[in-house]
Amino acid sequence: MATTAAPPATGKLVGKRLRRKEDPRLITGTATYVDDIKLPGMHHACIVRSPYAAARIKSIDAKAALETPGVVAVYTGADTKEVGPVPCGASLPGLRVPHHYILATDRVYFVGHPVAVVVAGDKYVARDAADSIEVDYDVLPAAADPEKALTPGAPAVHPEWPDNTAFTYHQEGGDIAQAFAEADVIVKQRITSQRLIPTPMETRGVVADWKPGDKALTLYSSTQIPHLLRSLVAGMLGLAENKTRVVTPEVGGGFGCKLNVYAEEALMSFVSMKLGKPVKWIESRRENYVATIHGRGHVDYLEIAAKKDGTILGLKLKLIQDLGAYHQLLTPVIPTLSVLMMPGLYRFRNVTADIVGVFTNCVPTDAYRGAGRPEATHAIERMVDMLAAELKLDPADIRLKNFIQPEEFPFATATGLTYDSGQYDLPLRKALEIGGYAALRAEQQTARVAGKLMGIGIATYGEICAFGPSPATPAGGWESATVKVDPDGKVTVLTGSCHHGQGEETTFAQIAADELGIGLDDVVVFRGDTAIVQYGIGTFGSRGTAVGGPALYYALQNLKKKLKRYGESALGSDDVRYEAGQCICNKTGKTASLAQLAGASYRALKLPPDEEPGMQTTFFWEPPNFTFPFGAHLVVTEIDRDTGRIEIKRYVAVDDCGKIINPLIVDGQVHGGVAQGLGQALYEQVVYDDNGQLLSGELTDYAIPKATMMPWVESHHTETPSPVNPLGVKGVGEAGTIGCSPAVVNSVVDALSSLGVRHLDMPLTPEKIWNVIQQGARA
Amino acid sequence: MKIAGTQTLPLSRECAYRAMQNPDVLVQCMPGCESLEATGAQEYAMKMKMALAAISGQFQGKVKIADAAPPERFKLIVEGTGKIGFMKGEGALELTEAGEASTQVTYEGDVQVGGTIAAVGQRLIDTTAKMMIRKFFDKLVEVTAGMR
Amino acid sequence: MIPHSFDYAAATSFADALEQVAAGAKPLSGGMSLIPMMKLRLAAPERVVDLGRIQGLNYIHQDQAGIHVGALATHFEVETSALLRAGCPLLSETAGWIGDVQIRNRGTIGGSVAHADPSADYPAALVALDARIVVASKRGGERTVGANDFFVDALTTAAEPDELVKEIIVPVETMGTSYQKLLQPASGFAIVGVAARIGQDGHGRLGVTGLGARPILITDATDLAALNTTEANSDIHAASAYRREMAKVYARRAIAAARARA
Ligand SMILES: Cc1cc2nc3c(=O)[nH]c(=O)nc-3n(C[C@H](O)[C@H](O)[C@H](O)COP(=O)(O)OP(=O)(O)OC[C@H]3O[C@@H](n4cnc5c(N)ncnc54)[C@H](O)[C@@H]3O)c2cc1C
Repeated sequence: MATTAAPPATGKLVGKRLRRKEDPRLITGTATYVDDIKLPGMHHACIVRSPYAAARIKSIDAKAALETPGVVAVYTGADTKEVGPVPCGASLPGLRVPHHYILATDRVYFVGHPVAVVVAGDKYVARDAADSIEVDYDVLPAAADPEKALTPGAPAVHPEWPDNTAFTYHQEGGDIAQAFAEADVIVKQRITSQRLIPTPMETRGVVADWKPGDKALTLYSSTQIPHLLRSLVAGMLGLAENKTRVVTPEVGGGFGCKLNVYAEEALMSFVSMKLGKPVKWIESRRENYVATIHGRGHVDYLEIAAKKDGTILGLKLKLIQDLGAYHQLLTPVIPTLSVLMMPGLYRFRNVTADIVGVFTNCVPTDAYRGAGRPEATHAIERMVDMLAAELKLDPADIRLKNFIQPEEFPFATATGLTYDSGQYDLPLRKALEIGGYAALRAEQQTARVAGKLMGIGIATYGEICAFGPSPATPAGGWESATVKVDPDGKVTVLTGSCHHGQGEETTFAQIAADELGIGLDDVVVFRGDTAIVQYGIGTFGSRGTAVGGPALYYALQNLKKKLKRYGESALGSDDVRYEAGQCICNKTGKTASLAQLAGASYRALKLPPDEEPGMQTTFFWEPPNFTFPFGAHLVVTEIDRDTGRIEIKRYVAVDDCGKIINPLIVDGQVHGGVAQGLGQALYEQVVYDDNGQLLSGELTDYAIPKATMMPWVESHHTETPSPVNPLGVKGVGEAGTIGCSPAVVNSVVDALSSLGVRHLDMPLTPEKIWNVIQQGARA
Repeated sequence: MKIAGTQTLPLSRECAYRAMQNPDVLVQCMPGCESLEATGAQEYAMKMKMALAAISGQFQGKVKIADAAPPERFKLIVEGTGKIGFMKGEGALELTEAGEASTQVTYEGDVQVGGTIAAVGQRLIDTTAKMMIRKFFDKLVEVTAGMR
Repeated sequence: MIPHSFDYAAATSFADALEQVAAGAKPLSGGMSLIPMMKLRLAAPERVVDLGRIQGLNYIHQDQAGIHVGALATHFEVETSALLRAGCPLLSETAGWIGDVQIRNRGTIGGSVAHADPSADYPAALVALDARIVVASKRGGERTVGANDFFVDALTTAAEPDELVKEIIVPVETMGTSYQKLLQPASGFAIVGVAARIGQDGHGRLGVTGLGARPILITDATDLAALNTTEANSDIHAASAYRREMAKVYARRAIAAARARA
C-alpha cells in the first residue's frame, strides 16, 4: 500500500510517512503482554461464571475443588463483599446504579457473571477445579431484548427497579415544535445499531502481585487507562495510591473495551493480598465474549423535518440504549455522546432527544471504537439519505446544501457543542471526484437496465475527539508529558496517555525529534507504568495525539527554554539560540551540543542563575475544547441477486483529521477503523436468545471481518488544522469506523432502491438481502 | 429453537400412546438415557449420557408428562443440566389414526439450550436436535415392534 | 481454554494405532476439530492416540483402482498434489476451500472424513465422486465402504469406534468438475457447498454439504427437486429456506462451471 521512505537521521519528521518504531517487536512476536509475565511463586486463577442470565444462587459447594491437589483457595461472593463495588464513572441525574459486587452474591444477572474464583499452583489444576464447583441455581426468567424489557410485565433485571429503566435523559435545543410545523416533509424511521463484541486480538489479563512486606500492590493489566485504574482499584481495595502500582505491558488491542475497570482487576488483587502470592488470570476468548463489555446496542426512533428544497429544519430522536445488567465505567454516558453528535455536519439547530437506558440480562455495554458517534452518524446519515430519496434529491447535493459553512466557525450546535473548524464540503467533493461520481451514476443507470443491482453510497461524518475539556469528562480531560534528556543527550518522553497500537511511540518521537532537532532514534517514548510515568488520563476517544500531543509539545517548549539557559551558561553569552540539537552563540558561532548541555545540567558545576540541575520538564495540558474531525466515505457495491451477497467494488475514504503527523499511521488507523465499521455493517451480530443465552459465543459464530473480506480502501485526506491545539491535530482513531457503516448501508439501500427498499438494519447479511430481493420480486 | 415434525408408527393409537408413556420404553428410546426413576405421577428423574462422536457429556434432569389426554395427545417435558450446558425441551405430541395399526405422531415444540453447547455449538444444535428426535422414533419403532 | 487432562501416546505405526484404538484411545489426527472440542470441554477423551507421527500414511498414489489418498494427507497436500490436480481435480479444488491455510496445513482428510461434520467440504466431493473409504480395525482387518454409505448422520459414520480411516480411494476423473461454496463468514465452514461432476451432455452427479445432517447425493444433476424436500439445517447464520435456495443456486453454478470444464 503505502511506500515508506527510510527515516532521515534528522530534519523535519512531522508529516513524513515513517514506519512505526514499535512494529518490529510486534510483528516478530517479541513484545511482552500480560500473559508473558512470570513472577516467582505465581499462582493462577480460574473464574466460575454463571451459565444463566438470571438466577438466584441457592448454594455453592466448593468442597471438591478445595480438596483438589494444587488448589490453594476458592473465594465466592461472600468473601469479597467488602471489595468494590466495580465503579461507574457516570453521573446522570436520577441514574440508578446497581451495586456491582466483584463476585455475584445472591443472584446472577447475566451469562458470564463471575460467581467464584479458584486459585491453584498451575492454570490447568485451577481450570479442572473450577469445573468441580457445584453451584445450585434457581433459574429465573430473563430480559434479553431492550425493547421487550421496557414492556409492562417483563422480567425485572434488578428486582428493585421493575421497569428496567436505569435512567431517562432529555436534551433539546432550538424550537423543535416550530421546525416540525414549518416542515414540508417529515421522514420517520426506526434504526438500530446492533450490539457488537469488540474482540481485541489480546483478551484481557491481569497479574496481581501483593508484597506483604511492603504492603504494596503491583497490578499488571491490559488496560487503556493505567492511572485511572490505579486510582479506582486502590479505592476498591482501600489501598493508598502510592502503595498501588499499575503496569500496562503491551496491549493487543483495546478499542474501548479496556477503557474500563473490571471486577477481575480488583478480584486478582484481593486474591493476591489474601494469599501473599502473585496471581495471574488470563481471559479466554469464551470468557472475553461474556465478561468484557460489548458495544453499541441502540434502537433509535428518528424523525427528520425539512423543506421541499432539502433544507433540514430539525430532528427528533428517541433512543433506547441496551445497557446490559450493570454500569461499567462509562456505560450510561455512551448514548449521551450520540445525542451530542446527532446534528452531524449540518446547520439545523432544532433538536430534541430522549434516551431511555434499559437494563437487560446481558453483558454490559460501554465504549467501543467510536463510542456513541458511530450510532449518531449512522442514524443521521441514513435519515439524510432517506430524506434525499423522499425529495428526489441527489444525496451529495442535499449534504452540500446543509453543511455548516467555513465562515460559520466556531459553530455552536443545538446540542451545546462548539465545533472548532471545518471545510465540510472538501472531503465530500474530493471523494466524489476520486470516485468519479457522475460516471458512477451513469454506470448505475446502465447496470440497472441490465438488471444489475449496483449501489453508490455516501456518508459524511463529524466526530468529537480529544476528550476533552475536564468539565466535560468524568475524570479530568487533560493529559501530561515529561521530557527527559539523559547525560548522553538521548531523550525519553513519558506520556500520561497510554497508546496501545495507535503508533504514538513513533508520532511522539517525531514531534520530540523535530522540536529538539535530533533523530527519530534518539527519542524513546514510554508509557504505562504508574511508578515511572506522572499521572495521566489514558488513550481513548481519539485523544492520544490530540491531547497527549500538545502536552508533549508544551513540555518540549519548556525544555528548550531550559536548554537555552544552560546554553547561555555554557557559552558565556546571553545571545544564544537552540537549533538543530545544539545551542549556538549568535555572536561567536560557538556551540554546545544537547549532550553537553544535558551533561552540564547533571554535573551541575555551572548552574544558570535560578536554574535547578537536571534536564527534565513536565507539562499537564488542559484542552480548551474538543476537536471535531470530519470526512466523507464513498462506497460502490454490487449485489448478487441470486444469493444476496454484497460485493464492495470501491471504497473511497477522505478523512480530515487536522494536521497529519504521520500519513502511514493515519492510513493504518483509517483502514483498521473501516474494517471494524465494515464488521458492523455486514457481518457482526451479537445474538442473545430470549433466555439471555449468548448464541454467538465464539469466533466460530461471531463474524469479525478477516483480511480476505476487506475491500481495497482508497484512503485520502484533506487537512484543516484545529485551532484548539498548537499541533493543529484533531484525532483519527475512530474516524474509519464512524464513516464506514452508513456509507456501506447507504450504498446497499441505493442498490436495492429500485425494489422499493428504503432502509435496512445492520448487519446486511446475504440472507437478509436475499429475503428483501425475494419480497421485491413478489411485489 | 422450534422443532416440529411427523412420524408414523406401525402401532395402533392406543398402543402407541401407551408405549410413549411407559418409562421402560422411554428409557430405551431417548438417546443416551441411562435411567428414569419415578419421582411423582408421570414425573421421572433422568440420567443421560450424550455421546455424539467426540462430543460427550453427562446430564441430569427430569422427564415429565403433562396435559395427558389419552390416546390423543400429551406434553413431554425434558430437562437436563450438565457441565457442558443445559437443555429444556417441551413438546406437544398428537396422535392420529392412520389406518389399522398405524398411527401418525405430530410433534411441535420448543427446545432451549444454554451453556457451552449453546454458545459454541450453533452449527450443530439444530442438526443434533433433529437427529436425536429421529433416533427416538427409530428406536421407538424397534422397541415396540413386538408390542402390537 | 484448557482441556480436561488426558493421557497421550503417539502411535509408532498404523498397527500400533489400531491396537491403541481397540483399547479405547481416541485417535488424534490434525487436531483441527478434536482439539477445539477438547479445549471447549465438549469432548473429554481419557486417552488420545496421536496418528500424526505414523510415517507414510499421507501418501497419494495411483493404481488400477484409482487414486489412493492416505488418511494423514493434509488438506494442503490434497490441494496441491499434482497427481490429484490432474487425476481428480474435484478433490483438490474442494480441499482448497477448507478453512484457512493454517487449518489446511494441519487438518487431514482422514480426520475430516471421520469427523463427518455436516458442514465439512470433503463429504460433498466424496459422495459426488462415489469415493471409497477404507477403514481398518485390529478386530476385523480392512473393509471398504462407499462414501454415500459412510456418512450416516451428523458427526456419525459407518466406522465403528475401534476402526480407523486408512485411506480414501477416488476414481480417475472423466468428467468436468467444480466445487462451489457459500461460506459462513465467522468460521469459514460451508453454509452450503456443492460438488459437481458433469459430462458434456450436462448430465452428472452432485454432492451437497451443509444442507442436511449428512451429505446429499444427487445422481441426476438435471433434477434438483430433491433439494426441495430434504430436511434443511437452520442456525443463526442461515435459516432452512435460505439454505435450501442457496443449495440450488450453488448447484446450478457448480453444474455450469463443471460442464464448462467437461
Ligand atoms: C477455524 C477452522 C475452520 C475450519 N473450516 C473448515 C471448512 O471450511 N471446511 C471443512 O471441511 N473443515 C473445516 N475445518 C475442520 C478441519 O477441516 C479439520 O481439519 C477436519 O475436520 C478434521 O481433521 P483433523 O485431521 O484435524 O482431525 P482431528 O481433529 O484430529 O480429528 C477429528 C475427529 O476424527 C477422528 N479421527 C481422526 N483421524 C481419524 C482416523 N484416521 N480414523 C478415525 N477417526 C479419526 C478424531 O478422533 C476426531 O473425532 C475447520 C476447522 C477450524 C478450526
